[in-house]
Amino acid sequence: MYNKAEVTQELEKIPWFKEIKPEHLQKITDIAHLRHVRAGEVLFREGDREDFLYIVIEGRIALDIFIPHRGKVRIYTAEPWDLFGWSSVTPIIHQRTAGAIAVVDGLVVGIDSAKLRQACDDDHDLGYLVMRRLTNIVASRLLVTRLQLIDMFASPEEKNAK
Amino acid sequence: MTTLAPETTKSHSDLLLEPHWAEITEIIPEADGISTYWLRFTDPAEQEAFRFEPGQFNMLYLPGFGESAISISSNAEDHEKIGHTIRFVGNVTRQVSRLKVGDIVGLRGPFGTYWPMKEMEGKDVFIACGGIGLPPLRPALYHIIKNREKYGKVTLLYGARTSGDLMFPNEYAEWRKAGIDVEVTVDRGDANWNGRVGVVPMWFYQFRIDPRKTAVITCGPEIMIRFVIFEAMARRVAPENIYVSLERNMKCGQGSCGHCQMGPYFICKDGPVFRFDELQSFFNVEEF
Amino acid sequence: MPSERLLDIGSTITIEKQAFNLLLSHLKEEGYLSIGPRVKNESLVYEEIESLDDLPQGYSTEQKPGYFRLIREKHSRYFDIIPGAHSWKQFLFPSSVELFTLHKNGKGWKNTTQPTETPSYAFIGVRACELAAIQIQDNIFMRSDFTDPTYRARRQRVFILSVNCTHPAGSCFCTSMGTGPRTKEMFDLSLTELDDVFVLTIGSQIARRMMTGIPFEDASGYILTNVEHKLNNAEQQMRRKLDTSDLPELIIEHLDHPYWNEIGKRCLSCGNCTQVCPTCFCWDTMDEMSLDGNTTKRTRVWDSCFNPGYSHQAGGNTRPTIYSRYRQWLSHKLGTWKQQYGTLGCIGCGRCITWCPAEIDITEEIAALRNEVKR
Repeated sequence: MYNKAEVTQELEKIPWFKEIKPEHLQKITDIAHLRHVRAGEVLFREGDREDFLYIVIEGRIALDIFIPHRGKVRIYTAEPWDLFGWSSVTPIIHQRTAGAIAVVDGLVVGIDSAKLRQACDDDHDLGYLVMRRLTNIVASRLLVTRLQLIDMFASPEEKNAK
Repeated sequence: MTTLAPETTKSHSDLLLEPHWAEITEIIPEADGISTYWLRFTDPAEQEAFRFEPGQFNMLYLPGFGESAISISSNAEDHEKIGHTIRFVGNVTRQVSRLKVGDIVGLRGPFGTYWPMKEMEGKDVFIACGGIGLPPLRPALYHIIKNREKYGKVTLLYGARTSGDLMFPNEYAEWRKAGIDVEVTVDRGDANWNGRVGVVPMWFYQFRIDPRKTAVITCGPEIMIRFVIFEAMARRVAPENIYVSLERNMKCGQGSCGHCQMGPYFICKDGPVFRFDELQSFFNVEEF
Repeated sequence: MPSERLLDIGSTITIEKQAFNLLLSHLKEEGYLSIGPRVKNESLVYEEIESLDDLPQGYSTEQKPGYFRLIREKHSRYFDIIPGAHSWKQFLFPSSVELFTLHKNGKGWKNTTQPTETPSYAFIGVRACELAAIQIQDNIFMRSDFTDPTYRARRQRVFILSVNCTHPAGSCFCTSMGTGPRTKEMFDLSLTELDDVFVLTIGSQIARRMMTGIPFEDASGYILTNVEHKLNNAEQQMRRKLDTSDLPELIIEHLDHPYWNEIGKRCLSCGNCTQVCPTCFCWDTMDEMSLDGNTTKRTRVWDSCFNPGYSHQAGGNTRPTIYSRYRQWLSHKLGTWKQQYGTLGCIGCGRCITWCPAEIDITEEIAALRNEVKR
């Protein structure tokens, strides 16, 4: 396993973590862990009840949704410094809505979502920063999702057929 | 400002839109509903004289059906044949899909402004394109590869809807070897796709773009172009350093029939390649 | 008195009205096909004329938005009538012209186009505004980088007899556009009609020749003053005005103003305006193939930016709603045309106002847009 110092070292490479106060960073590293993943390793499955927010340090994590009769559709890939699993921080559906699988060997930081919520409740300053950052990430993810939704590369024939 | 290269196929007589004839020498299926047609003028002197700049297009004519503007997707140094990557989507192009090697089609051109290969010398080049936007950029890539030392860091960020829709995948390795950073993404992947999943504009954050010395060139669906420009300008790339290739309904290719107008510009004559500052004032006006 | 001397270019003379028939027969002998205004089906058209009798003597028109009526007046003037829907562009830029014919030849096609005779037209009765329109279309169809062979062939042969308007109609606003009522240049003969005589100014070598043998008098000071007086009158009588001082900026800087939607609600996108406008130049091509597939004829036809298919392309339609098509037309005509061709595209003839079934008046719309923008 990795020690706190190694977790801190990895997190500090990410710009946002460089900007927050050391005591805030400390509170996060206290509830975070590093995890090495192998290509093909499943981090979590659709329907799992595990509760972690992940940040990619190295590698690529793909998010898949299984559609009956269609198979697995890959809807997103998280690259270094990207976040995934964030919905566990402000859960509506209390289980994973997509599966996460490592596409290549990599390294991720996992943060315990329940403990993160607790830390935010206890320290509102930290809470504000975390929520603000999450909102940013969710907003840009929403934009990306909308652009995927528009299906901009669809051939006009398909568009007309609809 | 890019300048117009003269039309190589001069009319033999005084007829407007008179076609010159070319033979289909090869047909390469590229993706679903898209193939590259290799054409050679039936008159060897015409073929020998034909020159184009990367980014220009020809008007392809099928007697009885009409004309279609098709970007030239082949190497400008290849004088034996001319490549046209065609998506079968309208009356004319759907008829093209039924043609065979040896058939004769009409050809006029080249028309339009071209990619600013000279202006970009000495700079980093960031090419962001998607779908059928890659074929008009391929001649530019070939030019960069041939003159690699004249350019700085060259990145190709290319996206398509799915992995089956990616154009020219068998060339990526060669381009990488020639010193081009080829990065690919798809809108939707499947379990067999180990590359990026996500739209083209969202990947900008992964690249170190120095706005002082980067030229961004983009081609693809206009909605994609819009967001690419947004991302580029968010990274302080000046509008004078962004080049786009636009598409409109074209009938004559010579700035006469009026169809391809966007504001004061005839896309066929003042474009299709524009420097973005020329379009900025009305680019986002709805339905313009 | 009759004279055999050739008149100087720039000289102004008067002729008896009946002597005009001599001019028409000279033109015919020279090979010209004279086209002039004629009354037909209660409207005014431009068709072949043979003599003075064919002209709309004693008529004038009442014109306003969506309204055109021929009025029988008590005067007996031949040219005192403002044009109807026809303009001269249909002769230089025909609404339908064959480009070429192809015959199947093995795997390819052979060009079997038959050479056609280019008509030599004599335009009899070109208004100052219409002359300005011809000048504008010259810039469009005869450029250094592109020339339309049909336009050029016809234009080079055309004989222009222009007419200075003495009574504008209700839709006219040429003074606002700087295109009339006087014709200043580019004519072979320029005519002003007084009650008893035609006052003619000689404009070219051909005009000198055509006028040979026609009895004339030098225009006296009294006649010239009379002409000036009438033209000044015509300027005063023009009710409709279009303020061009802030064009094209007013339009180009407010392309996304909600007022365009307002006009769009009324516009029917029928395309009448583009058809009657003497400067509209958009065209399309048509391919007609014989049933056996061995012959194809390619034709060029007029098109209009109001046609829904005009902006249709592979990805869809760039202007699916009427308001954006109306905006395209007007922002081109009174806006981007300037950057493309150096002048605004409107000549102030008012045809688009007269012939709009929705009674849209561009002079009012520009004024309204200006108002809305200021608010």
